[in-house]
Amino acid sequence: MIRKTGGRRTWFVAALLAAGSLFATSLPVQAETGVSSREIKLGITLPLTGAASPGYNKIGNALDAYFKYVNDNGGVYGRKITLIQKNDEYSPQLSIAKTNELILKDKVFALVGPLGTANFTAVHKSVGIAKRKVPALFLNTGFSGFANKKSYPTSFTILPSYAMEAKIVAQFIKENLSDKKLGLVYQNDEFGIDALGAFKDAGVKFDVSIPYTSGTQSAATAQTWVSQLAAGGAQAVVFFGVTSATAPLLAVAAAAKYAPQWILGSVGSDPLTLRALGVPVAVLNGALTPAGNPSPNDTSDEYIKQFQEINEKYNNADFDDYVLQGMNIGLMTVQALRAAGKSLTRSKLIRAMETKGSKFASVAYSPLGYSRTSNVGHTGYYMAVMDAKGDRKPYGGSVVLYTTDSGKGPVVKSNFKRPAMPAKGLPTNS
Amino acid sequence: MRKKILLFILLGWVLLIIGDRVDELRVYQGAQIAMYTIALASIVLLTGYSGQVSLGNGAMMAVGGYAAALTLNNLQTPIWFAFLMAIIASAIFGAILGSAAARLSGPYLAGTTLALAVGLPAIANQFSFLGGEPGILFDVGFPPERFGEEFTQYKWFFWISSVIALVALLITSNILSSRFGRTWRAVRGNALAAELAGVNSSRMKILAFTISSALAGLAGAVFAMNISLVAPGAYSLALSFALVTGAVLAGISSLPGVGFGALILVAIPEIADAIAGSLGSADKLNNYLPGLIVSVLLILSVIYTPNGPGENLRKLLHKKHAK
Repeated sequence: MIRKTGGRRTWFVAALLAAGSLFATSLPVQAETGVSSREIKLGITLPLTGAASPGYNKIGNALDAYFKYVNDNGGVYGRKITLIQKNDEYSPQLSIAKTNELILKDKVFALVGPLGTANFTAVHKSVGIAKRKVPALFLNTGFSGFANKKSYPTSFTILPSYAMEAKIVAQFIKENLSDKKLGLVYQNDEFGIDALGAFKDAGVKFDVSIPYTSGTQSAATAQTWVSQLAAGGAQAVVFFGVTSATAPLLAVAAAAKYAPQWILGSVGSDPLTLRALGVPVAVLNGALTPAGNPSPNDTSDEYIKQFQEINEKYNNADFDDYVLQGMNIGLMTVQALRAAGKSLTRSKLIRAMETKGSKFASVAYSPLGYSRTSNVGHTGYYMAVMDAKGDRKPYGGSVVLYTTDSGKGPVVKSNFKRPAMPAKGLPTNS
Repeated sequence: MRKKILLFILLGWVLLIIGDRVDELRVYQGAQIAMYTIALASIVLLTGYSGQVSLGNGAMMAVGGYAAALTLNNLQTPIWFAFLMAIIASAIFGAILGSAAARLSGPYLAGTTLALAVGLPAIANQFSFLGGEPGILFDVGFPPERFGEEFTQYKWFFWISSVIALVALLITSNILSSRFGRTWRAVRGNALAAELAGVNSSRMKILAFTISSALAGLAGAVFAMNISLVAPGAYSLALSFALVTGAVLAGISSLPGVGFGALILVAIPEIADAIAGSLGSADKLNNYLPGLIVSVLLILSVIYTPNGPGENLRKLLHKKHAK
């Protein structure tokens, strides 16, 4: 008899549990982290103060300005975007601490535009970006190591890699400067070594090759570079390093009346940074550089024109490459959020990047490489020539786009036409 | 002694329970507090007991961090062996440095160690096997699967850090209350008198430097584990200064105070956040506020409580007891 009662109770509890679980499954799914019916919270870490901050510190405000513009025009399916900027002073451990705050305390939905190679490598590992399935969109670094979908399944790059850049420069040299004696000055770390490998693969041989260690650049070392280059008779010189090395190199060469055809890597040729270092921008006159975006001064470009208008109203910063980069990341983020649909989740955002990301509108001329098997953003450059103000124009008068990958793939001339800027800069994709 | 061990086990048990109850951000901060506790203990031993002022603890931590990372990455050893190598490498480094330091005192020693804090981490840029500016990854791996799905990476770090901190503190506290601790205090109080009593003061100073470096190196390895990375930028001058501040606030000659000092170091950015938030213009202010708070606390503490607020509190309690 007792046993029978016990059995009944068990049945009763089991039935109650079954009913309960049925009820529970019919309830609406729990809302995604960082998303409510009215808001989407996004986070970015970048150097707002410190030695590395000039230029980079403008990206966050530009991104925020674009989001405010979108918010004032109805937001993303009615949700307003809130951007939380955290200062990591370009230090990996601060970057980790601040990303932890963004994800665990502020509970952001996704990271957008996190900046710096060492920083993001450390953050990805320590914070466990992939394990937590937090989307990290549009990394602000050209390190080709991030182009590994298996290791970085929730991260997406935006800039063409340093390896792509070197391959494209190599192709350009073969097509246009093959009769010249060649010189190379490069930073002796992953950054420059990537480039060196690409030149070797392309069969470009340098008559003078000068490695330097990051941090040793100065007017005195530049003197030795210039005398080595001049002694070797280099008529065209490729430079792969940072701006603080470009500055003394060009200044010393100009003083010594040594004027080869300069080809400057995209990292070391920013005119505003040169000016901040006290070097006249005029030294850039005639230098060639690979470029991804149109010049930020080119108001005939529909993207630039629209972004400048938004900048004037919501940001009021000097419109340069950094502001352009911030705004463009904003534009692409809004398209990604829209593509993920009205019931926004992290996994839907990642899926949207994979399936629709390659069609997004972006200011850069080259195609986007996003797919189920690739997290690589832009894949190409055109060669530009700089004037005495540091402004760049396409080499030969019109944009000739080259595309390639970070591996052994060929460099090809591309007729790709980028998608048009959405009307008023407000995406309507789905 | 048995009482002390029981106390530490109890402390560990309390930490375990706390670790289960708080959210993940707090768990991560807990791991950082444990790391700072070890680093501060190394300063208390060196400065508080043996009377040698060092501003270069960040550099010692770097030695430990790099030793642990190189061991783990190149030899694929178990984690504990990497930590052991951190202790040994930094102890050897400390012994060499201590031999030089024993000849210096006061501001000269402070200056030398300061130069070390500035220079040493930058050496990593010169040798490619040290990974340059981006540093090298230090990955102790995911927590064992038997702890279950819910057991997060940070909880794993917190457990390891806490256990190491507790053991390190237990050993340090024993050393300090042993013959060595008493001799160090004698040397600090009056080196000449100690020598007359038969103490070899420079040898004792080198010993203190060695043990303190070993502790700092251990802290450096724990730090590297918590951020999964060793890089020159991680062991910055700011870290060395923050540690000195923490030690002063903890009470430079009190080992039990180190937990308090470590707590303050981790809490400062949060406090700065709260202040900046309540003042409105959060962004700009927030960038400079933590540094400002550290500096102001250090100055105030040196002016009003040269032995640290902890010391004053203890005196206050003693007075009450006396009444």
